[in-house]
Amino acid sequence: MIKIDNVTKKFGSFTAVNSVSLNIGKGEVFGFIGPNGAGKTTTIRMLATLSLPSEGSLSVGGFDIVKEPREVRRIIGYMPDSFGVYEDLLVWEYLDYFAALYHVDPSRRKRTINDVLELTDLTIKYGSQVMSLSRGMKQRLCLAKTLLHDPEVLLLDEPASGLDPHARIEIRELIRELCRMGKTILVSSHILTELADFCSSIGIIERGEMLAAGRIDEITASLAGNQVIEITVKGDPLAAIAVLEERTDIARATSDGRVVRAEYTGASEDVDVVLEYLVGRGVKLTAFTPASANLEDIFLKITRGAVA
Amino acid sequence: MRGMRAFLVLTGYVLLLSIIVGMIYLVLSKNAPATIVNQAGIILTPVLIYVQMGLICLIAPTFSASAVSFEREQQTFDLLVVSLAKPSTILVGKVGAALSYLLLTLFGSVPLISLTYSMGGVSMGDIAIAYLIMVVQGVTYCSFSFLWSTLIRRSVVSQLVSILTVIVLVAAMPALALFFTALSASFTGAPSNTFVNVTFLLLRTNPFAAVASLIPGFPLPSSVWLRSVPIWVTQVVFYLSLMGLSLYLSLRRLRNTRNWL
Repeated sequence: MIKIDNVTKKFGSFTAVNSVSLNIGKGEVFGFIGPNGAGKTTTIRMLATLSLPSEGSLSVGGFDIVKEPREVRRIIGYMPDSFGVYEDLLVWEYLDYFAALYHVDPSRRKRTINDVLELTDLTIKYGSQVMSLSRGMKQRLCLAKTLLHDPEVLLLDEPASGLDPHARIEIRELIRELCRMGKTILVSSHILTELADFCSSIGIIERGEMLAAGRIDEITASLAGNQVIEITVKGDPLAAIAVLEERTDIARATSDGRVVRAEYTGASEDVDVVLEYLVGRGVKLTAFTPASANLEDIFLKITRGAVA
Repeated sequence: MRGMRAFLVLTGYVLLLSIIVGMIYLVLSKNAPATIVNQAGIILTPVLIYVQMGLICLIAPTFSASAVSFEREQQTFDLLVVSLAKPSTILVGKVGAALSYLLLTLFGSVPLISLTYSMGGVSMGDIAIAYLIMVVQGVTYCSFSFLWSTLIRRSVVSQLVSILTVIVLVAAMPALALFFTALSASFTGAPSNTFVNVTFLLLRTNPFAAVASLIPGFPLPSSVWLRSVPIWVTQVVFYLSLMGLSLYLSLRRLRNTRNWL
């Protein structure tokens, strides 16, 4: 759905993005991770047709961003990292204005506005002045605006930046809901924990260079070694360890009280086989948790490698 | 221009015009002979139009010169560019918004003009031409102010440059022409024909001169170039050309936002 091929962006003698390549499939939620000034916003602005690449090509939904910007704009929803709102408008007027700009049919406009307001939990603010909204609400309003024309692809640049923890959680829930709706989402952040929960794949960028990109589990497997499964057993943990060690795809198993930690070497999508095996061998357990990828570890490992 | 501000500006504008016209009429009725007072329209109408033209010089750049630069300052321009709005739509929308309010203020003065017209001395045709000159003046100022707003990032600077452009067009060019005429006269004893012609050509670009040429008795030498063409016609054509050029350059600039955003 999103294809970035060997893209370089220069501002004078400064190279903001250097030979970046990336492929994001339909329905994927891609987390663009990197410190401030790494080149995330520059890349997203190019995808949003706001800026041209110095070299290379970018396409969204098969449309080239240089040759077919209008087609690209039709299928993307772009939320910039810092944006302004028309303070003197009412919330519905603001959305109505953008609905008109996105050619939403006038007969459907009111319903569309109500739908996006409901999705972003702003229905109660329908008739409020934009200037009266809190920062978190303005952020959600901008997201509501982004969804007006029902875009297939969402480009969200630091959607939770500058928000308090409560507002961050709200935005995170909202993105999760959009994932469920099947949107292809590229979301950037320099806060790793923000992305860990809902991204299916990630790209780590630093100083304009893409250090790693791909599915989280693949990157984790290649960098972090084996996947750890945490199993809480009801009976004797040593018996559970003995059963686990019968399997060739368990490298090591240790216990900490009733919690058994097993290092699994198989494919992450086949981890349920281990659960079936334990149950089949009569091991009583209350929890079976394949540990989620730790983005912070991956990030540190990759960026440290780059520096080294 | 939402809420009370639009109403207050319009009210203040009409009030200012009313006070000026009222004071001049008061002075005339006290001091001038009855023959002049009976045809007060011949003085009051041009005064009213001149004051309006002066206000257009200020209002048009103020409204239009921040159209794009202010959007950039408040970080809303990106959202506009990324939308499906065509550059021509943005241009028409922005210039149209500034212009619509300007036209509203212009037509807000129609009742006053009707009053001065009823005092005699001016024809309906002359008033119509004067309004045409003012409308073209407003559209042109809005157009090149919009161009400045696409070129200059800060709206304050953009407004300042737009007002300076107005000053150059309205005052500097005729002043320069007169200066060179005077200079040539100082060498030869009388201004040469060429200098007089150039002076009148430059005056043909001036809306104030165009309105003045409608007043009976406007001095136009018999040998001057384009004598058969009314001054207001050349002025309107010149301004419309300027407007066309400004809008064309603005549109080009908006089509290439990716090179300057």
